[in-house]
Amino acid sequence: MILQALASYYRRLSEEAGAEVAPEGFEKKEIPFVIVLDRSGHFIGLDDTREGEGKKKLARVFTVPKGIKKTSGIAANVLWDTPAYIVGRPKPDPKKETVKLLERAQEQFQCFQDTIRATFSDNEQDEAIAAVLNFLGKRDFEQLFSHTAWKEIEEKGMNISFRLDTDTCLICQRPGIVAQLIGNTQRVEGGDTHRVCLVSGEPDEPTRLHTAIKGVWGAQTSGANIVSFNLDAFRSYGKEQGLNAPVGGRAEFAYTTALNSMLVKGSKQRMQVGDASTVFWAEKKNDLEDVFADIFGEPSKENPEQATKAIRILYEAPKAGAPPLTEDYTPFFVLGLAPNAARIAVRFWHAGTVGETARHILQHFEDCKMVHGPKQPGFLSLFRLLVSTALQGKSENIPPNLAGEFMKAILAGTPYPKTLLAAVLRRCRAEREITYPRAALLKAVLARAARFYRQSEQEVGMALDTGNSNIGYRLGRLFATLEKIQEEASPGINATIRDRFYGAASSTPVAAFPHLMKLKNHHLAKLDNRGRAVNLEKVIGEIMDGIVDFPTHLSLQDQGRFAVGYYHQRQAFFIKNETN
Amino acid sequence: MNGNGKRSALFRLKVWGRNACFTRPEMKVERVSYDVMTPSAARGVLEAILWKPAIRWLVERIDVLAPIRWESVRRNEVGSVMSPRSNGIFIEDQRQQRAGLFLRDVAYTIHARLELTAKAGAEDNLTKFQEMFLRRAEKGQCFHRPYLGCREFAADFTLIRQEEPLPEPIGISRDLGWMLYDIQHDNRADKNHVHCCTESCRPSFFRAELSNGVLLVPSPGDGEVRQ
Repeated sequence: MILQALASYYRRLSEEAGAEVAPEGFEKKEIPFVIVLDRSGHFIGLDDTREGEGKKKLARVFTVPKGIKKTSGIAANVLWDTPAYIVGRPKPDPKKETVKLLERAQEQFQCFQDTIRATFSDNEQDEAIAAVLNFLGKRDFEQLFSHTAWKEIEEKGMNISFRLDTDTCLICQRPGIVAQLIGNTQRVEGGDTHRVCLVSGEPDEPTRLHTAIKGVWGAQTSGANIVSFNLDAFRSYGKEQGLNAPVGGRAEFAYTTALNSMLVKGSKQRMQVGDASTVFWAEKKNDLEDVFADIFGEPSKENPEQATKAIRILYEAPKAGAPPLTEDYTPFFVLGLAPNAARIAVRFWHAGTVGETARHILQHFEDCKMVHGPKQPGFLSLFRLLVSTALQGKSENIPPNLAGEFMKAILAGTPYPKTLLAAVLRRCRAEREITYPRAALLKAVLARAARFYRQSEQEVGMALDTGNSNIGYRLGRLFATLEKIQEEASPGINATIRDRFYGAASSTPVAAFPHLMKLKNHHLAKLDNRGRAVNLEKVIGEIMDGIVDFPTHLSLQDQGRFAVGYYHQRQAFFIKNETN
Repeated sequence: MNGNGKRSALFRLKVWGRNACFTRPEMKVERVSYDVMTPSAARGVLEAILWKPAIRWLVERIDVLAPIRWESVRRNEVGSVMSPRSNGIFIEDQRQQRAGLFLRDVAYTIHARLELTAKAGAEDNLTKFQEMFLRRAEKGQCFHRPYLGCREFAADFTLIRQEEPLPEPIGISRDLGWMLYDIQHDNRADKNHVHCCTESCRPSFFRAELSNGVLLVPSPGDGEVRQ
């Protein structure tokens, strides 16, 4: 399913006008330097295609014939490669002997020329090909080596290609040459090596080694593979490499190109969810595709309103006259990839329709709605929510599987993972701090579970609910009130009862509350404003109404309600202060 | 391989389990499961209960009884193959942590028939094997514990008798893409009755489609199975 969906996305990309994907048999590649030749093969100059300053220089990206997967052997790309292949000058390596490197470079140089001769038949040779072969054949590279940039090129082994001085495109991009290259790839049809491709179902030559997928955060920069059999333990039925899973060349090209184009830096179709690089796409062009990253991503500093705007689109599309996203039946896919050594593992995979997904996302934001301070955002980003469950609020401390499971639950509209509740409570206890995102998460977990399992008991809401009789919720409120009393009795003290008793009060109330209730009496006695004291006493009386005994311990769910009750009550105090 | 072409009555077996992984060939290293039990996995379950060289199983239909739910798990596996000539491997050195996307809380009804193969002798007939299967399945007997795709995901099973009603499949319809049908082994390369897989052992695929929770499986000779 995953590869099929990716392959059909490639088809969509290649059909859409102005699409930036390479056609079959080609790839997009950064080429920092271009050798300019005239028609007879004389060296004219060296173009530097890089832009930017210092170390951030970025080379221009060209569409070039698809590179060969380099291994320890010698194999050249067509009309572009590193200096070792182009002019026989190896990348210096202090660990190896210079003589051997040079010998090898000579072979590579020969291989590069042979590849050109083998690819383009002699009878209808393009003038540009002749120029390149001429240039290489003369072996007169003095002008090139004396170029100011040459030292850097050689040291870094940068990619080089060729251009004719009268052309604006590379030689390998000339229409005649492209046509010949495409002709070459199509000629290899039929034959006994064909197998049924498990993506398309058509007979095709299976790819032995798949193109690397680049841009998965944390994976090797040179790229990693989804389909690979890099150890003997992975092979079955005596098959080697890609034959273990026959994916035809065309399907392989389509899925890797589609995935790579979505994973490139700055792509609007990727985002980071915990440790998983996540890409998403719709079968046809769609609004959700454009706003998806904004909905879940952390709002950027330059444009903090973008996320809210994106969510508004979900809510308000019908008002603007556009057809509501929630009734769109276009298939929508979300794929979460995480690196594992030289391979990429699928963390989660969601296939649904745009409408269904949009509805589920809306539901998520509804569930997370919570009273909050005036300066805090109305919608919390996925990042803010997840980070609130992590040690020191760092994204790398988010439990690895949690982010993926959470995302999956949002997209599929299922209950949030149970580990989430435990993770939030653990942070609350450890830091003795119930922040807005944490309270929102706890409430969302509880409300969602209640809806899903159709519990009759009333669940916590988004603001203070004095009618909620759940013991956890009420004790949370009580705790907030006791803290408030202490604060008013002795303003500005360093450690409040929250710092000292939160853990005990939320898990084993009977161990903490009797003591706290006694303390409260002392605190109230200290208050100068007697009216205030009576009022607070009244609040406590109202909360305590019906509580006979403090329970010995609270379940995990009730601890969640405790935290939410505490948060609600505290927020309610703040609001009162404002109106006073 | 075909016997006389006669097939047994239709058996219905309900299988379920806590987890399942019907590994996709393209993602079998960092495992990702197919959405639904594959025909070859269903065959494996049946063969765990009854198999002789004289018979083979033909799966006709698989009903999905529980919603398709996923679970992502990391676990330790071993990254090397032991050579028969070596003195063994030290597993702690070969450990690898690998990710898997598995199914959870699955339940299926397998509809299948028996067929006699060319290896059936004069004393073999369909009724004999039918009765054997019914007897074994009812008692819960099996040669080895049936499993859902991977050995570690043990399956529970119960026979659904002819007169009993079928469990209701889920109401989901979906195109599942190309699914592994089975591996067609080439027995010509067998030496001394030991099969060694060669290049000519080929996987076959079919277009799987779930309609109202029912996956119809083509017969092996059918044009729908591509090899």
